[in-house]
Amino acid sequence: MSRREGLTPYLFLLPAMLLILVWRYIPIIAGLRESFYSNAFSFTGAKEFVGWDNYRYLFDDPTYWESVRVTLKFNAIVNVLQVALSLGLALLINQKVRGIGFFRTLLLLPIAISINVAALAWGLALDPTYGLVNGILERLHLPTQPFLLSADQALWVLIGIVSWIGVPYWALFFLAGLQNIPQEIHEAARIDGANPWQGFFHITFPLLSRTTTFVLVATTVANFTMFAPPYLLTNGGPSGATNLIMFDAWKRGFTYGDLGASAASITVFLGVLIIVVAAEFLVFRPQHD
Amino acid sequence: MHQSSEPARFKLSQIWVYLALILLAIIVILPLEWIFASSFTNRETVFKNVLPFTLKALWPTEPTLSAYRAIFDEGFGRAIVNTLGVAITTVIGCLVVGTTAGFAFARFDFRFKGLLWTLVLLSLMVPYEATVIPAYTMINNLGWTNTWQALIVPALANGTVIFLFRQFFAEIPQDFLDAARLDGATWPRVMTTIVLPLSLPVIVTSSVLVFLSQWNAFFWPMLVAPDPNFRMVQVAVSIIGVRQQLTYWDMLFAASTIAAVVPLLLVLPLQKYYISSIMGSGVKG
Repeated sequence: MSRREGLTPYLFLLPAMLLILVWRYIPIIAGLRESFYSNAFSFTGAKEFVGWDNYRYLFDDPTYWESVRVTLKFNAIVNVLQVALSLGLALLINQKVRGIGFFRTLLLLPIAISINVAALAWGLALDPTYGLVNGILERLHLPTQPFLLSADQALWVLIGIVSWIGVPYWALFFLAGLQNIPQEIHEAARIDGANPWQGFFHITFPLLSRTTTFVLVATTVANFTMFAPPYLLTNGGPSGATNLIMFDAWKRGFTYGDLGASAASITVFLGVLIIVVAAEFLVFRPQHD
Repeated sequence: MHQSSEPARFKLSQIWVYLALILLAIIVILPLEWIFASSFTNRETVFKNVLPFTLKALWPTEPTLSAYRAIFDEGFGRAIVNTLGVAITTVIGCLVVGTTAGFAFARFDFRFKGLLWTLVLLSLMVPYEATVIPAYTMINNLGWTNTWQALIVPALANGTVIFLFRQFFAEIPQDFLDAARLDGATWPRVMTTIVLPLSLPVIVTSSVLVFLSQWNAFFWPMLVAPDPNFRMVQVAVSIIGVRQQLTYWDMLFAASTIAAVVPLLLVLPLQKYYISSIMGSGVKG
């Protein structure tokens, strides 16, 4: 099929490979390097090699550990929740009922909306004083809630907001997986007397294991790197309750001018993310190939 | 999609299906509809039907464009034009880079092909947020802060588009290409006269994907182009949102409506393409 064409393939590839090397790979290396140097924004303006100083400084900072704790808690909940709900949504919009096409279009709408518009929209709707949700709660004679102003509720509100976009988005992958399962398999199970729940747990779910692993890993990456909601809505608060690690790293670099600690934080973060993703692959290794 | 004729399937009872569908539809629609309706309401009356809630909050009784006038007075129109220009340029650039690279990976045999393809695939797995800060430092060192190239050039390094084109080009029958080559056509000519006209579906898919990623871009433009002359839509929305919250909610409603409506208008008619691009970039990868 393919031909030897001298330089032609390299010329065709040059722009793409150059762009990917410069803008996708060099920043990783540059970030790694930055984490071992003093800050560019210091008084002298010179950068000097400082070894592990940035890491030591970071690890001595209780704010950092609090941010790590919040990020792990957020992810422990949101990733499992999004996998389960997106599978549920895919099963639901895969039902053959009248009008399902309309509902499918409607329920997938949030995937076109940016995370920051979604965050702002829900931020307004959940405003304790003027928001739509408290307006409805009041009308129903239910107690109104502080939502993002409460250290106990804020992280849960963020989980809800990111899932409003995330669940329909990931449901698409499950929907594709479901539509790849041959109809005959369901028929056979039904004829053998399997009820719907048995059918789901013994047939559908195992056949979706590749998709499930993919979605779990992809949600993990997406949610570990979540930035916009704390930036737009909470500034990491109240009392650090929503200080997710990407936002914390951004604040270190741009609000406090500490690029070294920021780069160190992101380097550690990337290392941890690789370990988490590898662990997910190992534990949930697809059984069917 | 995929309407099959058999009704058989592991079915929940239909009433529960409809109850779940309607409940979820309310969760999806309610905030969007509220923001849409409120964006056409006067600043003074914007909360009248929210506290306590009446259904009038979801439909403006005396529609007005005052909020839209206010945001356009503050330069929102500029942000829309900027974003359209950046997004369209990025789409064209990504198509050029993606078709050439995709074609090379699909149809040519050359040294280091495996290694280069692995680099493209691995680049898809690096979370872009994690490279944003060093990439920003690079932009600074290049003196590209507040320039169009800062917004466009890094976005051209799009592995997903290369991947989509490679998958599509691998399916084109070899005879088509051979015939043209025998007639003495150069490879760039084969690309433009034979390959590209066949590739309309994947061109549409990639264009929607790239356009939306630029329209919805927020973190990167906020860092590299904070100047109002280079302001992008999502940054403009967030500035109205962060600075003017509680005072000018109507403006925030109007800006959010525009930021949300453009992708919806694009995605609704092209939903099939957009969905297949998302699924194509994940499941087959």
